[in-house]
Amino acid sequence: MSMEDYDFLFKIVLIGNAGVGKTCLVRRFTQGLFPPGQGATIGVDFMIKTVEINGEKVKLQIWDTAGQERFRSITQSYYRSANALILTYDITCEESFRCLPEWLREIEQYASNKVITVLVGNKIDLADKREVSQQRAAEFSEAQDMYYLETSAKESDNVEKLFLDLACRLISEARQNTLVNNVSSPLPGEGKSISYLTCCNFN
Amino acid sequence: MAAATALGPKATPGESGSPAASALSMERIQSLTDLADLEAAYTRLCEEEKVVQEELDALLEQQSTIENKMVALHRMGPNLQLIEGDAQQLAGMITFTCNLAENVSSKVRQLDLAKNRLYQAIQRADDILDLKFCMDGVQTALRNEDYEQAAAHIHRYLSLDKSVIELSRQGKEGGIIDANLKLLQEAEQRLKTIVTEKFDTAMKQGDLPQVERFFKIFPLLGLHEEGLSKFSEYLCKQVANKAEENLQLVMGTDMSDRRAAVIFADTLTLLFEGIARIVETHQPIVETYYGPGRLYTLIKHLQVECDRQVEKVVDKFIKERDYHRQFQQVQNSMMRSSSAEKIEPRELDPILTEVTLMNARSELYLRFIKRRIIADFEVGDAMASEEVKQEHQKYLDKLLNNCLLSCTMQELIGYYITMEEYFMRETVNKAVAMDSYEKGQLTSSMVDDVFYIVKKCIGRALSSSSIDCLCAMINHSTTELESDFREVLYNKLKQGFPATTFQDFQRGVTSAVNIMHSSLQQGKFDTKGIESTDEAKQSFLVTLNNVEVCSENIMTLKKTLESDCSKLLSQGFGGEQAQAKIESCLSDMAAVSNKFRDLLQEGLNELNSTAIKPQVKPWINLFLSVSHNIEEEEFSDYEANDPWVQQFIVNLEQQMTEFKAGLSPVIYDTLTGLMTSLIAIELEKVLLKSTFSRLGGLQFDKELRSLIAYLTTVTTWTIRDKFARLSQMATILNLERVTEILDYWGPNSGPLTWRLTPAEVRQVLALRIDFRSEDIKRLRL
Repeated sequence: MSMEDYDFLFKIVLIGNAGVGKTCLVRRFTQGLFPPGQGATIGVDFMIKTVEINGEKVKLQIWDTAGQERFRSITQSYYRSANALILTYDITCEESFRCLPEWLREIEQYASNKVITVLVGNKIDLADKREVSQQRAAEFSEAQDMYYLETSAKESDNVEKLFLDLACRLISEARQNTLVNNVSSPLPGEGKSISYLTCCNFN
Repeated sequence: MAAATALGPKATPGESGSPAASALSMERIQSLTDLADLEAAYTRLCEEEKVVQEELDALLEQQSTIENKMVALHRMGPNLQLIEGDAQQLAGMITFTCNLAENVSSKVRQLDLAKNRLYQAIQRADDILDLKFCMDGVQTALRNEDYEQAAAHIHRYLSLDKSVIELSRQGKEGGIIDANLKLLQEAEQRLKTIVTEKFDTAMKQGDLPQVERFFKIFPLLGLHEEGLSKFSEYLCKQVANKAEENLQLVMGTDMSDRRAAVIFADTLTLLFEGIARIVETHQPIVETYYGPGRLYTLIKHLQVECDRQVEKVVDKFIKERDYHRQFQQVQNSMMRSSSAEKIEPRELDPILTEVTLMNARSELYLRFIKRRIIADFEVGDAMASEEVKQEHQKYLDKLLNNCLLSCTMQELIGYYITMEEYFMRETVNKAVAMDSYEKGQLTSSMVDDVFYIVKKCIGRALSSSSIDCLCAMINHSTTELESDFREVLYNKLKQGFPATTFQDFQRGVTSAVNIMHSSLQQGKFDTKGIESTDEAKQSFLVTLNNVEVCSENIMTLKKTLESDCSKLLSQGFGGEQAQAKIESCLSDMAAVSNKFRDLLQEGLNELNSTAIKPQVKPWINLFLSVSHNIEEEEFSDYEANDPWVQQFIVNLEQQMTEFKAGLSPVIYDTLTGLMTSLIAIELEKVLLKSTFSRLGGLQFDKELRSLIAYLTTVTTWTIRDKFARLSQMATILNLERVTEILDYWGPNSGPLTWRLTPAEVRQVLALRIDFRSEDIKRLRL
């Protein structure tokens, strides 16, 4: 792995209720596709996309997990090694939003305490069916100290932004980490030079 | 005429040019009065005349050539007329031929049309004859109960061109045909009813030959779907009966039976094998009589029954084995760390094995039907469009992913993973608690035990044939090794290596107190806590070995798993991402190996600074008490009774024996490496505090050589490098006079790379009491 041509490697895991569009977000970002009638994910799926940010090659290992309850014990095993979690809900589905605290408990229990969590409200193309207002979600994410973004995998809205901003965040975290030189649990990403990024702003 | 036109352009410039060429007009000449002017005009006119004369001559010269050309042209005239005539004739012929061809081909076309119509007429006559023949045949066959024959006639009728029949009905004999058709349609309906009835009767009687007989008739009547569904119904009933029987047998199984622990997995196996056998047996019939691409329908029907039976078996399994309650209990014990109602991990062992076996059987079965359906579709879809193929692939995926069997197994495996994780964690904890060390061993029991457990758990997950299950357990194992088990070893190393010498008595006490303190904090007063110093030492060294073995074992485990997984993948289990998923999980595991290496390094540094340094430093300091400002007499005395180095070597030897016996060769080697560096640094310090005579320098050179010679024997590291500075210092201390350094310095250094700065060289030179400081200062380095 270390022989491969990249400057950073990050693991991103997508979680959230079944049917909120996790697979579609990943497919849109990695393959530029929106497969209609996407079946439920079985277990976990795995995609890789290498992006370039400020001249640096960043390899993103994206784990797309099944939302259904019976796969929970499989998906949980991936939390700990994740650098970032994308917690997804469906803006047209109140239920998927109401389950968020439960997901946060899972994160608390299984993920590393350094993990970056992003809250994503998907399916904004179905605006007329919206059940979860932007304000509610924004308040929730603020209270939980999470980044928050609304996307549409179908219309490709904010999908690139979601992953690229996240990659920027991860790079700057990794750099800070090498600065602090925390031996006990360094992030897998390695910093070559020490400087801070000012390019990306997370809302 | 032609010649004139030909000459035209040439002549034109001459004619139009001549009046203009003459610069003098008539009026001008007439107005001239002066003689000189007249003369000048005359000369000019003469010149002009000359020029004109020349031009005329040149033109006249061309006359003969032009005339020749004219003659040739006149001769060509008649030929041209001939050509024109020929061309006209040719055109006429072409037109004629063309018309002829048109004529012929239109006739051919007409002939072709006539032939086609003739064929159609024959076909229609044949069809009408067939229709009649079928009608008669069906009646006879039905009367004789020869249903195959009757169905063949109906099949023939059904394959007739419907529009032809329609046309025939409108013909003269429409009435007769109409009647025939009606009779045929009636016969068709009758046959359908009869076949269905007969099939149902045969099915009820369990008469396989009759069932198969009528099953073959359905497609002839265009009832493919119905035939397959009826036949499946029959097969499903057989599956159900057999499954019922097997389940009854399970309930009666003696607990002492050899297979009792995996009886539910065995029951599922029987079910799957039964269905597989049915598919195997009946696939040829379906292919032959129903054509390719129909196996999917048959299996879809069978899968419904399979799901129903799996549900029954799994329900029984859950009930009999108390699966859900055990899971609940495990989950509770994992949430609350209270040891009150902890489930004994050993009790979970058999059920975990059984679940993985059940899943493995299911995966095997699903893979079987997947392969069969794909192969069947492939035959049918050889010429089909990409869309049809994708459509079929979608059907297949839907069948495999959404069947109750898959969902039920996913659920069971979901619970399994949590329980296996618990099993692993608890058993590892137990192995740590029961850790024991046998004299003569390098490592203690827990390392082997822990890796045995981890291997067993991952191995069991692997035996489920589910890639996601395997990856999840690899992830959990990584967590267990990286956090929990590494923590155990880390805490052991944190207790430190107790020092023993009197100087370090204080230290030993503190460390013992620390041990007591930490065990008190854990809420129990462990008598093992106040170990004798020897035991504490032993424990530290054993832990170091443990850490190193862990690091190695992880890499070995990764390699073993890699080859095991490739076997599984080569058998066709797992999706397209399976390999990448496993690789990623395994590389996370391998990264833990490095964390153990880091821990080992930390431990060795600790050992070096707490155990080796406090001992070695005083031994080296003794060097200071041995004067190196000596004369011949003392030098030879030293030779007889070594004042320092031999004892130092003996001490080192003694100290290292303990480590050599207690540490693995690799760690011991690293430790001697650390010690060698320490000696080099410390010796340099005392050297710079001593003074030397010429012979003292020689004495030090001898001492240093003995020391290096000894250290070379105890370590595989190259120590020459570590002692490079000291060796160079010895060289300087051995010089005859100050300036001799220049023989070795700068351009004269040859292959020698100086590790000393000029200032340091001066500093060492100054240690020689017989070197004058002015000489040293005067050196140009």
